[in-house]
Amino acid sequence: MKITTIALNTFKEAKRDRVLYLLFFFVAVCLLFSRFLALLTVGDRVKIIKDVGLASISLFGMLMAILMGTGLVYKEIDKKTIFTLLAKPIHRAEFLLGKFLGLVLTIFIMTVLMTAVFMLILFLHTFTVEWKILLAILYIFFELCLMTAVALLFSSFTTPILASLYSLAFYLIGHLSWSMEMLIKKVKSGAGKTALRVLYTVLPDLENFNFKTEVVHNLPIPMKLLGTSFIYGVFYTAFLLLLAVLVFRRRDFV
Amino acid sequence: MEARSSGQNLLRRQRNLLVFALLVSLALFSWLKIQTDRVSRTRVPGSSIIYLPSGKYLKHMTFGYSGLVADIIYLWAIQYYGTYEIADRFKYLQHIFSIVAELDPKYVDPYEVGALIAIYDAHDAELAFKILDMGLEKNPDMWIFPFQAGHIAQMNLKDFDRAREYYRKAMEIPGAPPIVKRLYANASFRTMNYQEAWEMWKEVYETSQEDWVKEIAYNHLYRVKSTVDTEALGGAVKIYRDRFGRWPADLGQLVRTGLIKEVPKDLDGKDYVYDPKTGEVKPARLWWKR
Repeated sequence: MKITTIALNTFKEAKRDRVLYLLFFFVAVCLLFSRFLALLTVGDRVKIIKDVGLASISLFGMLMAILMGTGLVYKEIDKKTIFTLLAKPIHRAEFLLGKFLGLVLTIFIMTVLMTAVFMLILFLHTFTVEWKILLAILYIFFELCLMTAVALLFSSFTTPILASLYSLAFYLIGHLSWSMEMLIKKVKSGAGKTALRVLYTVLPDLENFNFKTEVVHNLPIPMKLLGTSFIYGVFYTAFLLLLAVLVFRRRDFV
Repeated sequence: MEARSSGQNLLRRQRNLLVFALLVSLALFSWLKIQTDRVSRTRVPGSSIIYLPSGKYLKHMTFGYSGLVADIIYLWAIQYYGTYEIADRFKYLQHIFSIVAELDPKYVDPYEVGALIAIYDAHDAELAFKILDMGLEKNPDMWIFPFQAGHIAQMNLKDFDRAREYYRKAMEIPGAPPIVKRLYANASFRTMNYQEAWEMWKEVYETSQEDWVKEIAYNHLYRVKSTVDTEALGGAVKIYRDRFGRWPADLGQLVRTGLIKEVPKDLDGKDYVYDPKTGEVKPARLWWKR
């Protein structure tokens, strides 16, 4: 109950922050950029519209998760409202979880709206509804949930600017960590290779949530991959939230 | 006191529980990561290539980091052309390398590597020439581009006319190494421009400070002269046979019948070898075995 209240308040706060204006930017980018790129290309312009649309949802969602997530806790501390909140019988873990769920709810609503706009644009070009696109968007949403947890973790111990930078770094690492596999193959067996392997396993792999290529090219997606990617996201998010709770419960606000 | 102690115990228990949950989640997502990596995914290698606009437009979009973007595209291109699953990867070779050229025209490596990929991977000499010509157009002071193009024309196509033209371009650029002149002279000889070949080898012989280069130049001069002489003598021998119905007994007969003014000697001052049975005229020694 307490978590739900905090979550709903976070959502209201996001609405007050005019976050829905981002939707207009999304529509503009989707319409103009896909039209512009489709004009430049030779061949399949629907593919480009799909690519731009999916990338925009992912990018705008990521911006939302990072920019809003990194300020969530800091704002409460900065405005001293955290004292009022924590004076009530609320655990710090509940506070963090409520904030997390509130932002996830905001991102979910924004993703649904962006998806509706994107599907409409796509429909106007193809006159068919491609349901498979929704699968890619669903996994983009899972990735955004994880990114929200990341932003919240950094927000629990540092300033919004630094937390944004760290989160952005996390996002980049998450999308480039697959290249470490190539490095591991080239390193001779030994302590270095083992260390690299551990690092590779622990570092986030956000490519697990990237099904854009498969969906756009209509390639088969193994069910096992969908399953493991989803559970991976759940546990990684849980790990980040637990870490955030551990950090936050030691935090001194005075 | 007791209440405080039990409160501390509770906090400690909560912390331990959190740490335990943290470790469990770490272990689980690590295990899932390994599981996920085991599932093979269908990829479309190189599908992003259609997003590379022309270099002219891209340059405006780099916000002053055109050199860095050129580096990135070049590095990416090396990886891209190492991906053998992309069957039609050479279709965009010129496009990709022209982007790098537009972004950083003075970046020499991409032209050279692009040409190497074109000739040895794509087996498309014309494409290699296009890339190297582009390099020369953007860097008129770089002899390496026409030199490499000449080498491709000579070694891969055996097109000595084209090789000669490229070597000439390379030779005219200040800083070109001496070997370019030698290659030009050789290509001139192979295209039967004997006069030019002679003059060029003579220049090499006269200007070189190194004995081994002088020796090479002298051997080539020997070859040019012996080729010209044996071709002239062979022609005269044929005319003699047409006129008298037999091969001349010796080369002196050509002088006596007025077909030539005098019997030439090779560069070493030795007589050419003549076989009266076959009418064949050849130098006393092989030019490269002297």
